[in-house]
Amino acid sequence: MTLELRNISWSVGFKKIVRDVSLRVEQGEFLGIIGPNGSGKTSMMSVLAGIRPPSDGMALLGDQPMRKVGRRNLARRIGFVEQQADTSDRITVHEAVSLGRTPYLSLLSPWSAIDDDIVTSALESVGMGNMADRIWHTLSGGEKQRVHIARALAQQPDYLLLDEPTNHLDIHHQLGLLELVHALPVTVVAALHDLNHAALFCDRIAMMDGGKLTAIGTPSEILTQQNLRDVFGVEADIETQSDGRCHIRYRVRNQMGVQTKKGRVA
Amino acid sequence: MLKMNRQGLAAGVFAAGLVLTATGAQATEYPLTIENCGRSVTFEKAPERVVSLGQSNTEILYRLGLADKVVGTAVWFNPVAEEYREVNAKVKRLADNDPSFESVVGQKPDLVTNQYQWHVGPNGAVGTVTQFNELSIPVYTAPADCVGKDNSTGGDGTRLDAFSMDLIYQTITEMAQIFDVEDRGEQLVADLRAREQAARESVESIDGSGVSMLFWFSSAEIDVDPFVAGQKGAPGYIANILNVRNVIDSDDEWPKVGWETIARANPDIIAIGKMERRRFPADDWELKMKFLKSDPVTSQMTAVQNDQIVVLDAMSMNPTIRTIDGIEMVAKAVVDLRKSQSN
Amino acid sequence: MIALLSFLPGRRTSAAFAALVLLGLSLAFAASVGETSIPVQTVMSTIANHVWGAGYDVDPIDAGIVWNYRLSRAVVAASCGAALALSGAVLQALLRNALADPYLLGISAGASTGAVSVAILGVGAGMFGLSVGAFIGSVVAFAFVSLLALQAGRGTGAIILAGIAGAQLFNALTSFIVTKSASAEEARGIMFWLLGNLSGVRWPDATQAFPMAIIGLLVCLWHARALDAFTFGRDSAASLGVPVRRVYVILIGISALMTAVMVSIVGSIGFVGLVIPHAARFFVGNRHGLLLPLSALIGALFLVGADVISRVIVPGQVLPIGVITALVGAPAFALILCHGRILR
Repeated sequence: MTLELRNISWSVGFKKIVRDVSLRVEQGEFLGIIGPNGSGKTSMMSVLAGIRPPSDGMALLGDQPMRKVGRRNLARRIGFVEQQADTSDRITVHEAVSLGRTPYLSLLSPWSAIDDDIVTSALESVGMGNMADRIWHTLSGGEKQRVHIARALAQQPDYLLLDEPTNHLDIHHQLGLLELVHALPVTVVAALHDLNHAALFCDRIAMMDGGKLTAIGTPSEILTQQNLRDVFGVEADIETQSDGRCHIRYRVRNQMGVQTKKGRVA
Repeated sequence: MLKMNRQGLAAGVFAAGLVLTATGAQATEYPLTIENCGRSVTFEKAPERVVSLGQSNTEILYRLGLADKVVGTAVWFNPVAEEYREVNAKVKRLADNDPSFESVVGQKPDLVTNQYQWHVGPNGAVGTVTQFNELSIPVYTAPADCVGKDNSTGGDGTRLDAFSMDLIYQTITEMAQIFDVEDRGEQLVADLRAREQAARESVESIDGSGVSMLFWFSSAEIDVDPFVAGQKGAPGYIANILNVRNVIDSDDEWPKVGWETIARANPDIIAIGKMERRRFPADDWELKMKFLKSDPVTSQMTAVQNDQIVVLDAMSMNPTIRTIDGIEMVAKAVVDLRKSQSN
Repeated sequence: MIALLSFLPGRRTSAAFAALVLLGLSLAFAASVGETSIPVQTVMSTIANHVWGAGYDVDPIDAGIVWNYRLSRAVVAASCGAALALSGAVLQALLRNALADPYLLGISAGASTGAVSVAILGVGAGMFGLSVGAFIGSVVAFAFVSLLALQAGRGTGAIILAGIAGAQLFNALTSFIVTKSASAEEARGIMFWLLGNLSGVRWPDATQAFPMAIIGLLVCLWHARALDAFTFGRDSAASLGVPVRRVYVILIGISALMTAVMVSIVGSIGFVGLVIPHAARFFVGNRHGLLLPLSALIGALFLVGADVISRVIVPGQVLPIGVITALVGAPAFALILCHGRILR
């Protein structure tokens, strides 16, 4: 089952946020989306997830336009984790994850033991199996993100779409989360703002700039000095490791020696 | 017992009036100072241009033959009484309800009379007494709205003492004094007193005591709690002097009382208000009648089943010169009730 | 007894049964207590006569009062309480705002404008009464708010602000009409109506209110899962397969309709739509499959009780029911806020 965008555009009013983007997600891969703020990553992800219809072009799931696939079916195939999703409702972790079963429930198929099992295993996949009864607002940022992922997993999707999942998390949780997601048996599309994370975890990277998809390829193909300079406006050296993975070493201007800032001011 | 009819009485009074004028009734001595609603109002001479804010005062002026001195009227609840239709047509109507201050002074009056203090008073909608006095315009408020009444509570105010026709007589007498037509005033008062007396006697003669009554003015919607008369307003007075019991105990002038309470009280006679105004659908007396006969509870009331429903003009249910009509109509209803009971 | 019931098979059916019993008892209570005192014997006989033609000998006025006044009023109070509480719960979920209530959509303000237009301006020339005027007014106001919300853009903020703007506009219109045209007596009459008043209620009103409440309950229950899905916002709900736009239209529409019908029958009764859902959440949490029916039940019981209180608390006088709901609702809300941990 393929997930694809064909020449899609998305506008708000007269402003074009995403222009003419075509993208095909390969099954089983970890696809990273990078780009500076305002490049249209989140909007493109929304269209890819089937939440917003494109103003132009077509979004397809399994070679069928998403419109025809239907919302419930889409929800059974694609799990979407937003950048910022919080609630002031007083709910438990279990209840939050249970929401992921919504596309499968109806009057004729109410909640059953099977749904319970799925929720439990989703929680265990994110390492929160013992926290099912915790109240939402008592969780840390990292735990909340993991609950969101568990909810998306409870949808039993083929594709997991994450919009900047590591914002607001400390480094330990950032890496832990990405490791976890990488290990899951689903195809992942993640918008990332940290380029080194993208380098570490992604099979392919798609780079966006000004609403356009400017390039797509392996990390070493995309994360070049030229691209970093042109698109992100930073100077960097790229180190390639023996296993093919690359690492970005940023160059900071006016690199001083040992003298600290304190020394300069005093 | 000798029964005197109304016309015979009127003739007698007229004759008495003639005698009085022949003996030279008092003419007003100016400057005249009258105590009115806690103020002293002074007149150098009889006013020539009066604006009357209140149907009752206006009709008193017409009755006293002063229509040519009225230059503006406002605050009308019903069409003017039949007999004054012609003279009223020549008088400028400033507003059906509340006129503006400017429209009143625009008529350059040398007297403003008002029926209600909430038109001209401390919180007057039209203006305060001071505002008029600043323009050298004296204000005369009908005593019925300030004697024994506390208008600071807002709305219709609260009557501390029960209303009595004496207040209307006082209004007539004082207005007659102000305009130097005291003889006409005395005549009118005597006429009204006589009518009142006759009505009383007609009820006493057939033992009208022990009859209970309800006075229903209107309702915000036809089947919600109605505005009914309390003990201290004009209907209370009517009931009192005819020795009829008003089933509503409240001291408010027009309290809202639930139909449940009224139905349990089961009055012998129900008076319903008739008016031209159609603010509420229930203003229409025919609608009130229809409601009484069709509502599953009120249709079971004695008064409704025996058709003891009397239609009273709204003006006669308010403390005005027409209250006397109310007294007469209720007296007649009580007499009719007793007659039908003895049959 | 309630505990016993919970052991019966099907916890949901026994809960529903218990709810119906509670409601029935409250209606019987409301039929027995009123402005005047009628012996319980008479009340029971009257009900027996009407329900299964028992043929007891009862004074026709007393019977009329119990059946036509008190019982019909209780049914309307229950329906109204349920409808307002349901609307409140639904709007709080859709708009993600704990302070949302059915009047947010401008419906109560529009109803008051419609009512004073009829009562004071004489619109309709006496052909229809306050209720019809109120209903038309609420529909007009709701249409205005909806259009404004659509123009203002997407998002719950747009709807809330449009509702506030609409309510302010129509409230201003009401004030204008009242101050410009009304005499003191008219103003008093209409103010009483606006504060909520069940005095004029008879069985024809009950036959409007009751089915409306039932339909509203069924429609909202049908969407209980969709409402749950809105916990993390609209996009989250969309990603879970909920047809967001359709759900908004249907649920806001049914809330508006329920509220408009109830307000046109009894005037605006405040606090019910705001506070009752929070009270229900205190007991069963946020799952709408439980929250909606419990809100409806508590709302119904609350308003029946408030109506009885409004009649007996001051002897010989009927207080506007909106005063009672506010006097009880405000401290109750404060209590829930402190102990119920609505927001943390």
